[in-house]
Amino acid sequence: MAMWGKDPRVSVRYPGRMEVEKYVYTPGLHGLELAKALKEGRLIGTRCGDTIYFPPTTFCPDHAMGEPVEIKGPWIVEAYTVVREDSSSRRLDKPVVIAYITPLDAEGGLIHYVEASEEEIAPGIEVEPVFAPPEKRKGTIRDILYFKVKNSAQE
Amino acid sequence: MKPNIFVKDRVAVVGAGITLFRRRLLETPRELAWEAASMALESAGLTLRDIDCIVIGSAPDAFDGVHMKGEYLADGSGGVFKPTVRVYVGGGTGVFVPIAAWWHVASGHCDTVLAVAEEKMSPAHPHPQGVFAYIWDPILERPLGPNLIWIFALEMRRYMHKCGVKKETIAKVSVKNKRNALDHPAAQAAARITVEDVLKSEVLVWPVQRLDISPVSDGAAALVLARENVARRVTDSPVWVEGVGFTLDNTHWYNRELAYPRYVNYAARMAYKMAGIERPWKEIDVAEPYDPFDYKELHHIEGLMLARPCEAPKLLEEGWFDRSGELPTSPSGGLLGVGNPIAAAGLMKVAELFWQLRYEAGARQVKKPVHLGVAQAWGDLMQAGTVIVLGN
Amino acid sequence: MVGKDVKLPGTYLKGDEMYKLPGLVEHRPEAKYEFASGQAQGRFLQGLKEGKILGVKCPRCGRVYVPPRMYCEYCMAPTTEWVELSGEGEVHTAVVSYISTFRARLEKPEIIAVIRLYAPGYTGKPDEYEFPGIFHKLCNVEPDDVVSGRIIGARVRPRWRPPEERRGSVTDIECFEPVVEG
Repeated sequence: MAMWGKDPRVSVRYPGRMEVEKYVYTPGLHGLELAKALKEGRLIGTRCGDTIYFPPTTFCPDHAMGEPVEIKGPWIVEAYTVVREDSSSRRLDKPVVIAYITPLDAEGGLIHYVEASEEEIAPGIEVEPVFAPPEKRKGTIRDILYFKVKNSAQE
Repeated sequence: MKPNIFVKDRVAVVGAGITLFRRRLLETPRELAWEAASMALESAGLTLRDIDCIVIGSAPDAFDGVHMKGEYLADGSGGVFKPTVRVYVGGGTGVFVPIAAWWHVASGHCDTVLAVAEEKMSPAHPHPQGVFAYIWDPILERPLGPNLIWIFALEMRRYMHKCGVKKETIAKVSVKNKRNALDHPAAQAAARITVEDVLKSEVLVWPVQRLDISPVSDGAAALVLARENVARRVTDSPVWVEGVGFTLDNTHWYNRELAYPRYVNYAARMAYKMAGIERPWKEIDVAEPYDPFDYKELHHIEGLMLARPCEAPKLLEEGWFDRSGELPTSPSGGLLGVGNPIAAAGLMKVAELFWQLRYEAGARQVKKPVHLGVAQAWGDLMQAGTVIVLGN
Repeated sequence: MVGKDVKLPGTYLKGDEMYKLPGLVEHRPEAKYEFASGQAQGRFLQGLKEGKILGVKCPRCGRVYVPPRMYCEYCMAPTTEWVELSGEGEVHTAVVSYISTFRARLEKPEIIAVIRLYAPGYTGKPDEYEFPGIFHKLCNVEPDDVVSGRIIGARVRPRWRPPEERRGSVTDIECFEPVVEG
């Protein structure tokens, strides 16, 4: 009866690989507006009635079409974390500060790098985006190189 | 009409929406869901506030390249802070979406459901074929280096052998559906082609040639379903869900007779029983059988008992399945003509029945008067059958 | 009314228009997997290495499963008996593939088939819906044998790789080839 059980002879393992070379994601409707704005060093969100959402969502919570509008900030650090290891658990030479940053003129926010020391970074401080040089911008969120602490000594 | 006494609430389709079906669309998957959902709501004269529950359908996450696709699509489908589920049975998903929406309402749990199906196949590079490679068994099948088309070719060849069907006959399904699609506003692969065009197209895996196959597509479709009292309030012409059926066979597709889709037949019997249909070949007026490949339409017509086994090719030759025929099939243009964004394509077929049964299909409207229609999809490794019967 | 001229949502991107869009994000999945064969398939693969095609039998209903599973899907009972098959069978269906997994044209087309294996308890009658079977390639078969239908129903047997080349894989069988009577 006990035909099935541990039998090392029958343990065969097969390697496999996801045979998709890459995925290409389109930015979408307001996403395309954001991409164009990023190339110009600006940020946009979606206006739904009295509320503005960032990042832009195209459609509003009630499913009406939203309207793209510029987001000017100021940008505030809501929460942060300090990363000391890379994804393979190797110690980083310099810790990386990642923060959830919200604009005061919209609902929502984004996760991005902050160029700040561990002493400087704190919830509630004001930061501002630093864009890549225009010729290097691709319309993605990495066109913002990082956020820097406003009025800090760093240039 | 024989209402099923075991069902608490009668359910109707009251609105439908669809996006363009195209090889590549700019919209993100959630935006496609939103576009189709908004159109469905508008056609029902309802707003998102009137909707109680959401059902989402989408095929493998690996097509859109986004995990947790149900959650990802939730906001575009109107599901934020509402009971929301995503259902999935491979290619059968599109018809499974309204089936799941039906039980949400029939159980008494929701008065209204927004049912959304979305697929974006263009992100996977170099070709979505790479994603399809993962439907094969990793140990017993993938070492042979299979291409997705193999399995269809094997089934088509078996069907041709068992039923004595010629490729010239099967090609007529492609000719018919692509021609029907000329009148569909979403169509991606509508064309006026001839049997010779199909037979001269590139041979991929004989007997399957390029024009025997539906295209790769992006797109979305949506329906609004409601219980009887709501449906009667919002429309004068509700389209009733008369029957639903769904079954699944195992993944061992090479352990069974490939000439006849038993999984479709079982699902069909379940749906007909619920609808009180005893002679579907006489009682059904219009059908949308699943047609990712041309032979599949014939195969499924037989599984749906709209023709006897091996009889569909003969009826096709006689024009039985044309829009002007006795039992029009795929008047929409089907997957071969409108396109195949997997889950959305299945739901497109149910949406077509909705428009046909309301006499709203314009140039696509079939000649004969229509009372009952059946839509069906098939999925996975020759496994899943999903069937819905609608009536006006 | 959703007739022909209704303007539908959706923004079509022609040809390489997509690749010129600002804001396009690309990502390469680096997903690698290791699949364990499990118990029933593991023993089946071990059998292949030994030049044998093995099935399992359900003690309740007598169904023979090839490829084998640990359980009978009808009785939900554990399968309890190994059955060695002769390896011979009949071609259930066969096709000619001109393309690779990724749609590249093949120099020499391949013949792919589903083979209904001979097993005790199975009649091989055409009305038998289920059967022990295998999915493999055919050799010594020409495309025309597939097109004409000559090959369907033909008796075939496995062509085994030499024992030293077998790895415990379905490819330990190089292909199935027609049994020449005589």
